[in-house]
Amino acid sequence: MRRVGKLLLVYLACCITLGGVVIMLTSITRVSAAAGEMPDMNFSQSQLPSDLSSIGPVVSNEICLGCHGKPGLSMKLFNGDILDLFVDPDNYAASVHGKNGYACVQCHTNLGTYPHPPFPATDSRDVTLQLTKVCDRCHSGEYNLTMDSVHAAAQAAGTREAAVCTDCHGSHNVRQWTDSKTHVILQDVRLDIPVTCSRCHFAIYQKYRNSVHGAALTEESNTDVPTCIDCHGVHNIGNPTTAEYRLKSPELCASCHTNPAIMDKYGISTNVLNTYVADFHGTTVTLFEKQSPDSQTNKPVCYDCHGVHDISRVDDPNTGIEMQQNLLVRCKVCHPDATSNFPSAWMSHYIPSPQHYALVYYVNLFYKFFIPLVLGGMVVLVGLDIGHTFYVKTRRARHIPPAPVVDIQSPAGVEPHDPPPQLEQDYEPQHNPDDGDQDEEGFHD
Amino acid sequence: MTESTMGSSSQVSRSGDRVTYARFDISQRVEHFLFLLSFTILGLTGLIQKFSAYQLSDSLILALGGIERVRIIHHYSAIVMMIVSGYHVLVLAYKVFVLRARWTMLPVIEDFQHLFHDIGYFLGLRKYRGYYGRYNYAEKVEYLAVVWGTIIMGLTGFMMWNPLSTTQLLPGDFIPAAKAAHGAEAILAVLAIIVWHFYHVHIKHFNKSMFNGKLSHTEMMHEHPAELAQIESGQVNRRPPLKVLRRRQQVFFPVALIFTLAFGFGVYKFANFEVTAITTVPQGETARVFVPVTPTPRPSPTPPPTLAPGVEVGAMTWDGYFAGLFRNRCSTCHGVTKVGGLSLSTYQDALTGGNTGPAIVPGDPDSSILVQKQSAGNHPGQLTIDELDQVIAWIKAGAPEK
Repeated sequence: MRRVGKLLLVYLACCITLGGVVIMLTSITRVSAAAGEMPDMNFSQSQLPSDLSSIGPVVSNEICLGCHGKPGLSMKLFNGDILDLFVDPDNYAASVHGKNGYACVQCHTNLGTYPHPPFPATDSRDVTLQLTKVCDRCHSGEYNLTMDSVHAAAQAAGTREAAVCTDCHGSHNVRQWTDSKTHVILQDVRLDIPVTCSRCHFAIYQKYRNSVHGAALTEESNTDVPTCIDCHGVHNIGNPTTAEYRLKSPELCASCHTNPAIMDKYGISTNVLNTYVADFHGTTVTLFEKQSPDSQTNKPVCYDCHGVHDISRVDDPNTGIEMQQNLLVRCKVCHPDATSNFPSAWMSHYIPSPQHYALVYYVNLFYKFFIPLVLGGMVVLVGLDIGHTFYVKTRRARHIPPAPVVDIQSPAGVEPHDPPPQLEQDYEPQHNPDDGDQDEEGFHD
Repeated sequence: MTESTMGSSSQVSRSGDRVTYARFDISQRVEHFLFLLSFTILGLTGLIQKFSAYQLSDSLILALGGIERVRIIHHYSAIVMMIVSGYHVLVLAYKVFVLRARWTMLPVIEDFQHLFHDIGYFLGLRKYRGYYGRYNYAEKVEYLAVVWGTIIMGLTGFMMWNPLSTTQLLPGDFIPAAKAAHGAEAILAVLAIIVWHFYHVHIKHFNKSMFNGKLSHTEMMHEHPAELAQIESGQVNRRPPLKVLRRRQQVFFPVALIFTLAFGFGVYKFANFEVTAITTVPQGETARVFVPVTPTPRPSPTPPPTLAPGVEVGAMTWDGYFAGLFRNRCSTCHGVTKVGGLSLSTYQDALTGGNTGPAIVPGDPDSSILVQKQSAGNHPGQLTIDELDQVIAWIKAGAPEK
């Protein structure tokens, strides 16, 4: 019975360990999956005054549009800018707010009375900056994320052009960009994102549009390719010039480029990250990323060779870095003295094989056999020696009682039967070169 | 490494009953210590680079101050090892060319016989081990492995340290090949030291001769019986006559000096051969970040509607002023929607009024509900005081339509 009990205990321990491992693994994958998810929509219906009657007499949209729905209303701002007060009713009706029946005064909360209270805006940008604050009332999650963004930082530093909610989403024409159930961005919306960003980042947009990713998106409507937000994030868009961003960037690229579900469609290798990490550059960047994510290293990341926004196909005849002369241009950015042989010192994401980097492949192959051969020989000899020692010891312990220590310098010809227990009598008491078993010793000069 | 026995007098020393045999002089022991020190550091700092993805390596790299520091330590240790190796070659040359010592480290056929004897002994087929001389096959294997390893590591290390110069002469794939060989050779060397060296000189029997320079008679019997027999029979390397020695030294020392200078220069160049890369961070995106689409597309304000033709603009009449005022101020509620039954869309509507009575009673502002409501204040769509005064004055004047 005790034996059965013990077995059960061992079985239980195994189960717990196994369970622990499984939980750990799943939690790791879940964490990584969560990390990959875009921060999206923590907007909840309950935050909304959905029951319009509960907030008192609501001024209906018809009343507002009675004045603002016809072209003509405008006001003069402090600096002389003319602010158009016209709201296209059709445009609003088509917006996500219009479709869901939100009232004008739910955003323009102070405009429920007439005459409207004074609106002291210095200029038209000031109008936007003041009014965009109301987005926080329903979309505080996204709003707070934007507060961590590079745009908010720029605003805080006094750059008034830096984007706020309405600059990207629009105001009265705000569209539904995510699936209302899954909160995942809609595929056709992805096509519009670069255009949205281009309103302020037009030079970068032009580079992107000609890149392998941008061309696929804009010309083929291919939504497998990354748009701006896939690399830069959505609301909490970080500063992409920091050391932290640079060190993280290989993982960013790898999130698609190690995914066979996407890469297999285009016949692109998914070994790009492990081959990068295995090399000097990638090893360094990976260690920096793990150990000191804030400190800068000049070892290249993906975009130093492949380009930042102007990433081209590697087999592009003019810019593709599959061509050694094109790669050399990239090498020379960091290695100004590099010559034509130098680019092939980098294995171009290949795993050595007889076809690619045969020399490296055969060096590896040589050692694959050479190391076990040498070490195996050594282990066999050492093992034999140890085995013999044990054998002798156990035999002596069994059959021969402890014997007096015999002087190992015993007279020639006398066989020492009982050597000291510490050292096996393993040498010839007197070497006889004429022994048929023995060969000539070479020490006689 | 050749034998450098300085005659039987210095070979054997006796203190009381104990007889000891000199094995390694102090310079050899220092050399060994420096080599093992640099070897250990190189092995450690190298393997944690090779296996940097493992947590243990990661922790060690962090403890040593980061990957860049680890590389610097690795490079300095390599320089120490190169200097020790250069010194070793120099001493070797002295022993070979000046002392004309025997090449006791060269493998000979006898070593293979000893190996077979040992295997036979281990398997119980022979009674005794091989009859070893000054260096047995185990020591020779290890020495030659060190020579081979140092050459391979030095060459491949140079290639990785100086990839630009290497690729001026050799194809680029020599660099990753050098890296592969360097790493594999390192594993071989470290494991061989652990399996072979540690077993033979530490585990099997702790051999202190590399630290105190001496072996006991017992140890000599076990490990170098042939050499012991040689010593005891007086067959030892004899120093050449002083005259001969001086003559050889006169040639050797200048050559050694040149070698030392050349080697020192070589080591210096090795460490400073080329400037491989820039020290600044390569620039990322070069395009300007904020380039708005110009001109910023903003809808131009739509012009205010022109008044109906023929109307005397500004005349204090319904058509001239008050129709517009009420449209702008009141029509959101009192237009088509007729809140409270009131519409101010037309003059007639205003006279008719809403549920509580006529909004405008010409000539009697106090009876006009519009005036009453507006005077009380807080009406949605509140007229300003000036506007209200204008309305009262207009009603007093009979509220003319035209």
